Amino acid sequence: MDTPWTDRAGRFSWIRSIAFAGALAPALWIGWRALNADLGPRPLEEVIHFTGLWTIRFLLITLAITPLRRLGLPRLVIARRMLGLTAMFYVLAHLAIYAVDTGSLARTVSEIVQRWYLVVGFVALAGLVALGVTSTDSAIRRLGRNWQRLHRAVYLIAVLGLLHFFMQSKLDVTEPVLMAGLFVLMMAARGAQARGLSLASPLVWAGIGVVSGLATAGLEAGWYAVATNAPASAVLAANLQFDYSIRPAWYVLATGVALALWAGARRLRQGLLSPAG
Amino acid sequence: MHYHRKPRWIIPEREVTPESVFLNRRAILAGMAGIGLSSALPRLASAASGFSPEPQMNPAFADAGRPVTDEAINTTYNNFYEFSMSKSVYREVDALETDPWTVKIDGMVDTPMEIGMEDLLKRMPLEERIVRHRCVEAWSMVVPWIGFPLSELVGMAGPGSDAKYVRMETFKNPEIAPGQRQTWYPWPYVEGLTIEEAMNPLAFMVVGAYGKDLPKTMGAPLRLHLPWKFGFKSVKSVVRISFTDEQPQSFWQDLQSSEYGFWANVNPEVPHPRWSQAQERVLGTGDQVPTQLFNGYGEEVAGLYANMDQSARTLWY
Repeated sequence: MDTPWTDRAGRFSWIRSIAFAGALAPALWIGWRALNADLGPRPLEEVIHFTGLWTIRFLLITLAITPLRRLGLPRLVIARRMLGLTAMFYVLAHLAIYAVDTGSLARTVSEIVQRWYLVVGFVALAGLVALGVTSTDSAIRRLGRNWQRLHRAVYLIAVLGLLHFFMQSKLDVTEPVLMAGLFVLMMAARGAQARGLSLASPLVWAGIGVVSGLATAGLEAGWYAVATNAPASAVLAANLQFDYSIRPAWYVLATGVALALWAGARRLRQGLLSPAG
Repeated sequence: MHYHRKPRWIIPEREVTPESVFLNRRAILAGMAGIGLSSALPRLASAASGFSPEPQMNPAFADAGRPVTDEAINTTYNNFYEFSMSKSVYREVDALETDPWTVKIDGMVDTPMEIGMEDLLKRMPLEERIVRHRCVEAWSMVVPWIGFPLSELVGMAGPGSDAKYVRMETFKNPEIAPGQRQTWYPWPYVEGLTIEEAMNPLAFMVVGAYGKDLPKTMGAPLRLHLPWKFGFKSVKSVVRISFTDEQPQSFWQDLQSSEYGFWANVNPEVPHPRWSQAQERVLGTGDQVPTQLFNGYGEEVAGLYANMDQSARTLWY
């Protein structure tokens, strides 16, 4: 029998076990805080935000697997389906608790259809569920080549999920910008690979990091310019002022640089191990 | 029920040496140094019980129709962006120095002035009143305030007949308020209301809550409260009150005029662009209750807007 901690041959798998523990950890954490009445005076609101945030995070982790496979971690793929399903379970909890907080099913439906950010979020959720129910071995066999086509929708779902995250924010979009920046980084890696650049190269990763970092800064300033009256130039300039905060663009750049260093270390090691000549 | 956990070494506010005791010692030292005691004495008299004379409950506001919200909730769940975007901002506000505190009253008034909190408290009739507070984020509390009607302050300032609005401003000091280092927000926080609104008995200047000095997280030492409007209108830690003939542009209007306007009167029928205002979560009870027009204070304030276009969305957000 398949368990979350074994591979297909039934052997214990560290990768799957860690992924499984990671999938459960946020749920256990919020459950523990709920039991201790540590969620503040609006506990449902807190859980809604928490499950939404972790949906996005698990979706991004799932999308990170393909680029990481090129960095010497090909076996990570055995945890990908589990992580994708985790995102789906978190978003279902997100909706269920929203419905409880709203008070009635009728009101939940009327709220969703009346507000764009909820429509966007609901479409993303429906997409995740569609991918979830077609993730079984038998569905993969039945759908054949269409399975791949269907599951490419994950990129669109991620975009909609991120848009929902931005739209529901009250003014401050630091966290959505960071998540969007990391998404851009992973899409840039795919783009680089499609153009024949090797993700084993540290230079390629450095380039991806710089491009994605700049894109993140642009995205942040652009959002404030479109959605608020805040001066976009001041938002951009804040990337170079560190007494308030380190803006998300730097974290995205740092992620690219870290992956470049990882790629560089692998190159070095391979160079040392390969016979001189 | 625990809402937050403090390290054991943090002593509760009530166990902190009372300021009167602390100041008393200083005053004696000052006296020994040959400096007059007179400046310290009035504060000694008033600080012992917080306020003197003891503010009496205004019978018109003795019952808000709902239980008073637990103080532990009210002091740990606040919006005070000057210090943090987090509702747990009470952890960050200690650096705010509220004593001494001076309020500048200027603009279209007979005699512009700068008045210390102590003097202001002596000149204003303090009372206690229990009112509902409705946040634009669809939650509400019931708060026992101590303060004085804004109309008393307007009377003291003596605005000219050309003054139409009252503009209030929070302190600006990025040194102590890290949120103010966010460069793209239009600090300081500004809010405003019409003179007619300011003269309404419901418009209240707050200096205390739960029988004590106002906690910093709730906007010490002086804040506005307009119970028929969404909470963001009720500006905290006020340092300047100006009388003007121009409608003040508020902090939130400046940032997102599509979501937060000048009037911001509570109306369950008019949703925020991103959520319904029909219901509110009553903090501390778990209840979700229908929101009332003007937060239930229509009898007192509806007349202020009788001549305005009631269908205009701008009246309600």
